[in-house]
Amino acid sequence: MSDATRQLIENLNALAAGLFLLTAFGIVAMRQARGCLMLFIAQSLLLAASAALLGLRFDSGHLYGVAIVNLITKPIIVPWLLHRVAPAGLYTRREVDQVLNIPTALLIALALAIGAYFLGIPLAKAVGPEYQGPNVPIGIAGLLLGAFTLTVRREALPLLIGLLAMENGAFLAGILIAHNLSMLVELAIATDGLIIVFIVGVLVRAVAKQVGTTAVGELASLKERPAGQAAPGAAR
Amino acid sequence: MSLVWILIPSLIAALLTGIRTPRSWVPGITVVSCLIVLVLAVRMAWSVAAGGSVGESLGPGWSNWVALDGLGALILLLIALVATTAAIYSVGYLAHEDLSHGKLRFYHANYNLFVFSMLAIPLIAEPTLVWIVVELTTLASALLVSFENTREALEAAWKYVVLSLMGAGFALFGFLVLFAAMQATGGGTYTWSGLVAAAPRMPPLLVQTAFLLILIGLGTKVGLVPMHTWLPDAHSQAPSPVCALLSGIETTSILYVILRFFPVMQAVPGAHAETWALVLGLISVGTAAFLLLQVHDYKRLFAFSTVEHMGIMLTAVGLGASAHYGAMQQIVSHAVTKSFCFFAAGATLLAVGTRDIAAVRGLIRRAPGAGAALVVGGLGITGAPPLAVFLSEFAILKAGLGAGYYVATGLLAAFIVIAFFGVMVHVNRMVFGAPEVEEPDSPAERPRLPFSCGLALVLGAVPVLVLGVYIPPPLHALLQQAAAALAR
Amino acid sequence: MAERIFFNLLQVATVMVFAPLAAGVTARLKEIVQSKRGPSVFQPYRDLWKLFHKDEIVSEDSSWIFRFTPYIVFVAPIFVALLIPVLTSYPLFFAFMGDMLGGGFVLALGGFFATLAAVDTANPYGPIGASRTRMVGFLAEPVFMIVFFTVSFVAGSTIPYIVQQKWVMPIANFFAPSHVLLVLAFLMLILAEGGRIPVDNPTGHFELAMIDESKSLEYSGRGFALMKWGGQMKFFVLLCIFLNVLVTPWGLAAGQTLGDVLLAVPLVLFKIFCFILVLVFIESSLAKLRLFRIAEFLGAAFITSVAAMIAQVFIG
Repeated sequence: MSDATRQLIENLNALAAGLFLLTAFGIVAMRQARGCLMLFIAQSLLLAASAALLGLRFDSGHLYGVAIVNLITKPIIVPWLLHRVAPAGLYTRREVDQVLNIPTALLIALALAIGAYFLGIPLAKAVGPEYQGPNVPIGIAGLLLGAFTLTVRREALPLLIGLLAMENGAFLAGILIAHNLSMLVELAIATDGLIIVFIVGVLVRAVAKQVGTTAVGELASLKERPAGQAAPGAAR
Repeated sequence: MSLVWILIPSLIAALLTGIRTPRSWVPGITVVSCLIVLVLAVRMAWSVAAGGSVGESLGPGWSNWVALDGLGALILLLIALVATTAAIYSVGYLAHEDLSHGKLRFYHANYNLFVFSMLAIPLIAEPTLVWIVVELTTLASALLVSFENTREALEAAWKYVVLSLMGAGFALFGFLVLFAAMQATGGGTYTWSGLVAAAPRMPPLLVQTAFLLILIGLGTKVGLVPMHTWLPDAHSQAPSPVCALLSGIETTSILYVILRFFPVMQAVPGAHAETWALVLGLISVGTAAFLLLQVHDYKRLFAFSTVEHMGIMLTAVGLGASAHYGAMQQIVSHAVTKSFCFFAAGATLLAVGTRDIAAVRGLIRRAPGAGAALVVGGLGITGAPPLAVFLSEFAILKAGLGAGYYVATGLLAAFIVIAFFGVMVHVNRMVFGAPEVEEPDSPAERPRLPFSCGLALVLGAVPVLVLGVYIPPPLHALLQQAAAALAR
Repeated sequence: MAERIFFNLLQVATVMVFAPLAAGVTARLKEIVQSKRGPSVFQPYRDLWKLFHKDEIVSEDSSWIFRFTPYIVFVAPIFVALLIPVLTSYPLFFAFMGDMLGGGFVLALGGFFATLAAVDTANPYGPIGASRTRMVGFLAEPVFMIVFFTVSFVAGSTIPYIVQQKWVMPIANFFAPSHVLLVLAFLMLILAEGGRIPVDNPTGHFELAMIDESKSLEYSGRGFALMKWGGQMKFFVLLCIFLNVLVTPWGLAAGQTLGDVLLAVPLVLFKIFCFILVLVFIESSLAKLRLFRIAEFLGAAFITSVAAMIAQVFIG
């Protein structure tokens, strides 16, 4: 592989990772539930692209496998499964107010992403010199932003997407530092993601039927004190 | 006999209860499969106790992906034991409720899947696969937590799923980093034993990062403070037999995965895994002990007690090698006692129909069986002599003092005493307190405890009482092996 | 030397001549998308011609600022056109006077005076538009800063002529995440600063909803023509910076002859018309945001620009 091609592949991979970061920010802030799903699909496609590009770079069949598994499960099966399992109102929901307002949430997300840099760079360095690249820090950022999404969102679909985005983030780092993980494990993890979608979808449907809302983050009746006395954060 | 066989009965039972089986068969299938699993688990644990660890290859390239050593066998045995008593308990517990056939099958299919996924944890030795079965335990039990389909149960299940999976996300990254650390040493099999072997050569930064990620990630599912917030909800809203499984053994089997890292971390310079365990454990015990005092729901009482006990186990591991035996003993005594506690709580719930502590007074007159069980469970779980937990907590405290951890041991003892009062004040009021309004004591209004629930209570009480005074030699051997597995 | 001065003036002439055409094409295309025929693409020229021949009415209560502003608004983009690569890929005579930051300041000066003039006449709609413009402006400012800082971080310079070389040498740099994310952020900025649709509706006629337009409501005749022309040139100049420096630094004249430079005119116009297609697509497929949602739009732009910076740091 010539130096120029290698450089191009690395830059394209970095581009996929950079756009990945952008989608992670988008998932934190996007109001429309359907928009969140679209961003997640875009993120998964970028993850697949990064896996394929790294496969090209390391000449690794495993990574092509990861790319294909990602292409099949996340953009195709996840929306289909959600369509089958989840209540119909899930997609059309808009989240009028989040726990934090959007600019504040984005600023905190930004701080997390910058924090990910300080975690990720030494980590990538410790793995080895050929593992330099934006995958590890941006993967960590994706992980943290996914977790952050879980804390600021209330609507069911964005919360589910936050969970899946965390996994995407872990994977984005994983395809670089653990690129020869066994294919069996990769497949099992992909299947696991689908089971998550299924179970959460069933749960959300039950909530929508029983409680009448898909804003599951607003459920907060389980607390230590009887209702009426404020118990800040006791049930969170 | 291959190790993976033990997974098959539960899987078959899940399938059988999933398809259209006659209603009367469904609970029986679960009980029978659990009994088979228990027999197999006892056999395996016996052979491990007698002859050391067993490992086997699943195929080329997957060497030693299935293995069982003392620690694994101990967990496997406890899972099988609690699953069996809880399955027996479920028969009567669910017969009492008005359930449709489909709902009953749904419960049992999920129950068997849950048992299956838990059994796989100690069997599998490949860390990322262990991560996947840990995920499966969450997913299989999520719909069991929401089984009663009330607003509160759904909320509890939702919190359980979201927080557990959030933790699992961090843990996944931790496992991937660990794999990278393994690769950095130039290969080797990515299994628990392979990790221990490769540990001295792995880059310390990577191992430490992986350990912290996994401690936080899986610690969420164990219920360590401050990641415990979901636990009292989920462990109190689920049906009582499921609570017994969740609190009694699921938490412990996740803790087992964390414990697997201690021998690895001992080889890494500057890792301080013991210190982390000590600090996090003491925080958990202390927080839970104080939270116990202000609980209004007796199932939550036992759920907080689980947080406390997880803290005790982790603290014990942090106290050093001499306390490891006590930690293992604590795992056993907690599993048997906590499941018994939830059986007792379930019996109380059947008798009085409310979870509110304030609404239950004079239980010993209204439902003598449930009341007696609640007293035994309460005393048992808080470590009153001569019950199982007393012995294990005593062993831990003794080892802690022996190892020179005076402050930590003193704090631990103080928290245990506070927790004792926290639980017993509530239990005492519920069982012996004078009812505020004297109810007409007609026998017709008093719901009878179903036979199978009573049977499970009796069966569950046996180890609680026996293990406090006598530890059978094979179990002693197994505990020693398990304790040895925590050190290099 | 004289040649370079001439080319520089040619750049200014290009901007002056073709800015109304770009506006006309945009308007026509949008009408076509809405299944209407629309005015001729040369309508903006006719409007300017008509306005220059009309009487100008100036309020007695207004100060010198009101009279002075149209000239500043008109001259500011011309100054910037001296600094940036409109036609040539090498610096021309006046290019030494400022970098991209300098150009940004000059454009901001025009905006500043337009805002003052809007307040000056005490027309109730003017101050509404002025305060809204300031709101958009101060939200866009940090994004501009981060974009310029990232550019200078990557290219080691804020001189547009150096920056544009950096993105294409080697071609792999074109796909660097910092570049693509900067382009996205800058595109959002252009929409905000140019008063295009998710932020402001340039064809709106409802005074209460206006942001940019209401500032020139009080103008008439020649003053209005200058304001209008200046606004069109400002947008054209922004497009030139965006396309010639950031996105597609191709098609510019590399040779020193008049022929080369003249050939660059249709190429640059072609790029701009291609971009107008994209712009029309964006404008036709989005709805105007509510005023307080604009903060979120520009917040997204800010995040994008910071992501560009972070991505650049992460690679290194």
